[in-house]
Amino acid sequence: MKCLLIASESAEVLFYWTDPEFRQNVQDQYGASQEEGQRPPAFEDSLNTLFAPIIISCSTMVDRLGDSYACFTTENQHNYVLHQFDECLYIAVNGDGQECEDDLRRKIYVMKKMIEVLFGMVNLSSNLLRKELRPQDTEQRTGLWKHLQGLLETYSRLRENDQSFLVEAVERLIHPTLCEQCIEFLERRLLPALNSSSERNGEEVLHSFILVHTKLLAFYSSRNTSTLSPSDLLALIVMTQSMYPSNTDQEDPGPEVQPPPEACSHCTTPPIDATYCSDVESVSVSGLEMFYTPQPSPTNRSSSGSGTSCGMAEDSLITLEVSPPDPLAPTRVFLEVSLKDGLYPMMPHSMYCRPLWPGITLVLLTKIPNSSVAMSVYSYLEAFAKLEKRLSEGQEGPAAARGQPTVHDLRSKLDKFIKALGPCDIQVPYTLHHIEAIFYCSYAQWSCVCLASRLIPWCKSMKTQLCGVYKQCFLNGTTRGADAPQRLSPALQELAQAMVQEKLMDWKDFLLVKSKRNITMVSYPDFPGLVHFICVDRSSGQMIAPSLNITERSTSELGGGPLAQFIRGKVWGLVRTARQYLQKGYSTVTLRDGDFYFCYFLWFENETGYKLDEVDLPVLPDDSPPIGVLARDYYRKLLRYYSKTHAGEVVKCYELLTVHLGVIPTEYILQHCRQLASKLWEPSRNPLL
Amino acid sequence: MAELMANSGRCTYFFLYDGTKVQGEGDPTREGICYFYPEQTPVDQQELLCGQLAGVGRCVSELSSSPVRVLRLRHSKFAIKMEDDFFWALGCAMDFPTVSMCDRLDQLIKLFCFYNGPVRQSYQTNSRETLALCWSRYLFYLQAGATELHHIFSCLRTIDSTHIDPLLLLKAALILQACQRCPLVLAGCILFRGRVVSTQMPPCLTVRVMAHETQTYNKDERLNGMSSSFPLSSAVTSTTVHLTLSELQDLRSTTVDRESRPHSTPSQGSRPRRTRLSRTLSDTPSTESTPDLEPEPPGRPMRLDAPLSPGLSRGAEQRDATPTNDPLLSPASPRFPEISPLTNQKGPRRGGQEEEDEEDGPLEKSRYYSFHSPDGNTSQTEFQGEAPPPTDASPLGNPPPAGRRAPEREGYPEGRAASGGSGGDILPGAGVKDRTVVPMTLYQHRVKGLLLALLVEPHLQRDTEAMEEVYHSSLASLNGLEAHLRTVAPGAPGLQGPYTFAHYDCVQNTLTTNVSGRAGGDQDHSFVRATSLLHTHFCNSDALQEAIIRSARTAVYATRSVAQETYFLQHGGALRNSGVPNHQDTAFTLPSKARHRLLKHGVSLL
Repeated sequence: MKCLLIASESAEVLFYWTDPEFRQNVQDQYGASQEEGQRPPAFEDSLNTLFAPIIISCSTMVDRLGDSYACFTTENQHNYVLHQFDECLYIAVNGDGQECEDDLRRKIYVMKKMIEVLFGMVNLSSNLLRKELRPQDTEQRTGLWKHLQGLLETYSRLRENDQSFLVEAVERLIHPTLCEQCIEFLERRLLPALNSSSERNGEEVLHSFILVHTKLLAFYSSRNTSTLSPSDLLALIVMTQSMYPSNTDQEDPGPEVQPPPEACSHCTTPPIDATYCSDVESVSVSGLEMFYTPQPSPTNRSSSGSGTSCGMAEDSLITLEVSPPDPLAPTRVFLEVSLKDGLYPMMPHSMYCRPLWPGITLVLLTKIPNSSVAMSVYSYLEAFAKLEKRLSEGQEGPAAARGQPTVHDLRSKLDKFIKALGPCDIQVPYTLHHIEAIFYCSYAQWSCVCLASRLIPWCKSMKTQLCGVYKQCFLNGTTRGADAPQRLSPALQELAQAMVQEKLMDWKDFLLVKSKRNITMVSYPDFPGLVHFICVDRSSGQMIAPSLNITERSTSELGGGPLAQFIRGKVWGLVRTARQYLQKGYSTVTLRDGDFYFCYFLWFENETGYKLDEVDLPVLPDDSPPIGVLARDYYRKLLRYYSKTHAGEVVKCYELLTVHLGVIPTEYILQHCRQLASKLWEPSRNPLL
Repeated sequence: MAELMANSGRCTYFFLYDGTKVQGEGDPTREGICYFYPEQTPVDQQELLCGQLAGVGRCVSELSSSPVRVLRLRHSKFAIKMEDDFFWALGCAMDFPTVSMCDRLDQLIKLFCFYNGPVRQSYQTNSRETLALCWSRYLFYLQAGATELHHIFSCLRTIDSTHIDPLLLLKAALILQACQRCPLVLAGCILFRGRVVSTQMPPCLTVRVMAHETQTYNKDERLNGMSSSFPLSSAVTSTTVHLTLSELQDLRSTTVDRESRPHSTPSQGSRPRRTRLSRTLSDTPSTESTPDLEPEPPGRPMRLDAPLSPGLSRGAEQRDATPTNDPLLSPASPRFPEISPLTNQKGPRRGGQEEEDEEDGPLEKSRYYSFHSPDGNTSQTEFQGEAPPPTDASPLGNPPPAGRRAPEREGYPEGRAASGGSGGDILPGAGVKDRTVVPMTLYQHRVKGLLLALLVEPHLQRDTEAMEEVYHSSLASLNGLEAHLRTVAPGAPGLQGPYTFAHYDCVQNTLTTNVSGRAGGDQDHSFVRATSLLHTHFCNSDALQEAIIRSARTAVYATRSVAQETYFLQHGGALRNSGVPNHQDTAFTLPSKARHRLLKHGVSLL
């Protein structure tokens, strides 16, 4: 019984997702009074009715006590976690014992992250965000919510099944030679070919990577480009998986299901969407469809925020037909960019996902032509936020005096900005000019203290206007209007796809198998009693772990089914526990739990591998953002915190989790851990294999 | 005692809100506030908290079809109890373990019910002001004194057994045994200056009995049928207390063989006897002398007391009043296998209690029979002797169908269910068993700082002979015990060493520690913090046996078994380490250090 709800302060539902049990539960509570035909609107309404008292009480508590609800637990172990981001209240519920409080909080933060990636700086204006999340047009709303629901379900599925999403670090395919070849291919052939083409319509491919299921085969960023943060990369993998879900049941594709080579080139042309969502029989059977067994989870592949999904069939909203999105249209994503002059969050990019074969995807991230506007908007937003803070804090003379030059400075810059917007073909709202004029007018007259408080609302209004400009530039043009979409030309996209397909043709079967058996515990005969381990390099956001296959069909050395499932449960529990202690400042944890012995270590090294001294880690409150990377990068903060005492040194942070049999003496266990820690990240970056 | 570290264990808010008082739109929230702590909180803030929390609590419990247990805000958290339209909330600081917070709320409510009977009923019969006084006393009692560690484990405060001649503990145990020879005495405990010397009761009951003792202002208490005018001595008082059926049943069964029925897990087999018991109880007259709150149907035939008690007490009278000299005590001791002088906790045998039970159970029973049959105590043996091994198949023992519970609860509010005539028409299920309360009497005999508290059947008070017998049999020994205990230096600090430890006995609910609570040093603070995290972890995970957690400054080792939890921190030797796995890391030597060091505290981790 699970649910996630986003509501505005006035208890308006901005987004919801529920699993069938929760829906059933709500319908049971309201079932008696509902008419059959009236279900679709009724569900949202009854959800609204049920949660409204909580939402309203939440804002009452904030207003009158300055405190708000963080979590409820009932006697039958239902968990409710609440978190407010600006004016949006997120509520996550679990009633089946599968998710603990931390999981729910993580889910909320991940949802928030996804919304940030999809809507960028519109997030900074609650008013605009509310309109974006709940479009007036029902069809549009249905499409958007389905898209978000798909992302959320994909994330939940990955977090439950994929170790890299458990620890929130990217897992690479361990095959040094092939990886090197692929990186070289991306660098020397693919990116030059794309970026020199005239069909790129002003876009520039910055990052490119190849995913095999969720694992990274190769990643290349063009020179002088900001690195892609681990958090953003994980979010993009979730989006890719949501568009082209890997079929988790389809383990170890045997030779009999492999498509003939000609089918592969064929498969690039028809929109993959058709193979997903329409009848398998009615579509041209190219042998490929064998891979595309419809998923129970939504196979949302919308690239425009108005996607469709066949997984949500039982949702009555499906009745509203949504036009299939153009598979070649890019997805607008807002990612963090770090430049020499600072960090710019939520900068617009276009993401192109090209499926090479089922399970193998090429992702291209491009810089769009007018992306510099975003940087300006961000600078102004920041400047206005600072000004507003200063105005509301220190309204004394000195503070105002300091503020004055900045404001004039701001003004001249803003003038330039508005002029610069002209050629960009963007309709600057009349109000922006209008408000700007009034703002400076009042500012010029500002001599007495009382005016400062009158300026604050104008600051806010300016910020909203800026967000509006941003929205118009980056959200409306390409992804909504769609009449003259800005994108790499379809031919260019297909060229890219064909190039990589050609390169990997001989490898694809190997890759699919390899992704399931990246490394296995059999490769560690020197560690008797070691059941499992996960090693994470937090500086690069990458992890290594033996595969833990848990589906019925596959067998690892742990055997299939129940035993592997049991170990999986233990590993997942260990990560959860380790995080709880890490949150409270403990960097080493060992536990004897039933027949197993668990270890967790976190440590710092410098670039040469010298182990650095421990420092007191920050002790965080219970409702702080979850420890992880995807939603909020805890480790980046930790590294920054640690670097303060190690100025001038490159600090690296590692984590090791091990599961041993309990009968192994502790000395040996610790020795194993030590060996693993030193071997796994040898300078070659190649682990034992 | 100025206890620096006790602060985070203090509750920030506590309130009881009666939802039935605020049902209409226009009803002001304050009508529903039965008690609010801190009492000086402005009324509008009281209303805000009560109204919002109770409202949200109801909303959530409807969504989940289950009452809310924990409600957390950003800066504080609340343990919640929702029952019969009552809404309790106990707020604590964020770093106080949630499990302990919930325990404390339960303790508080049970404590209230123990002395005042069911909440709804006591609010019908008493004014809010009177009961507010009770709540504030109990709240004060539960938070008073002890260190934060005591709050985390919500444990009993015991006398420091390491500084006391074990013979004194034995003597205390013998006094209790002697009192129990009167069949109307269920169980007792001996307290000295707010600490337990010896107890026969389960820890949850001992805590409640102690609440009364620790109230320094109990002089003016005349509430709820307390009568201090005893013919024997002004040192003896008695109070009506309320036990739930299951508690009572456990107490009664323990006089036979508590070992085979740990109080925490009432076995299926003990049920039939309870139904018999309730019939016996229903026959208990409760007219003038039982200061009972609820009117009971008069005119029920007496069956238990008249023939039984005098016979027994006469038998006892003939023996020496000093139990230690009593030759009969040695054969009697098997009858009281539950006697657990606190010295026991040191022995390794407590750890394996469960296993031992299996062997001891039948043996105790047979001894019991042979001990009792010469007394000709038919009525007594009837209901105790019928206590069957767990294989009994009496139809009355089966729990009722779930659907029947609710109406039963309404139909027979509280104590009525027990007195509802023949046991046949009531089939008490687990829920009813816990919520149905039976009035009993708490007999207290004070000798200066020493207190003998006995839970007795209400009609003991009318039975002058039995009363005198209990009084006289214990008087001399109590005086002696008091004189000895008084000479023991109070509050001698625990054995200090280059380490900090805490040893919690889950069975007796006691704590041994060398954290004094006064110093509150940095080490102690980090020890307490780690302990509260680990204790929470132990509570939430069944399979977890031991853990070592290490931060840059401290490493704490924790281990637990079914019966105990032990926490250990080694001082000194700055843990300069990189945190990388290293078998030479001092943190990993903690288990062996703990094993050695704690032996001299009587803690065996082997």
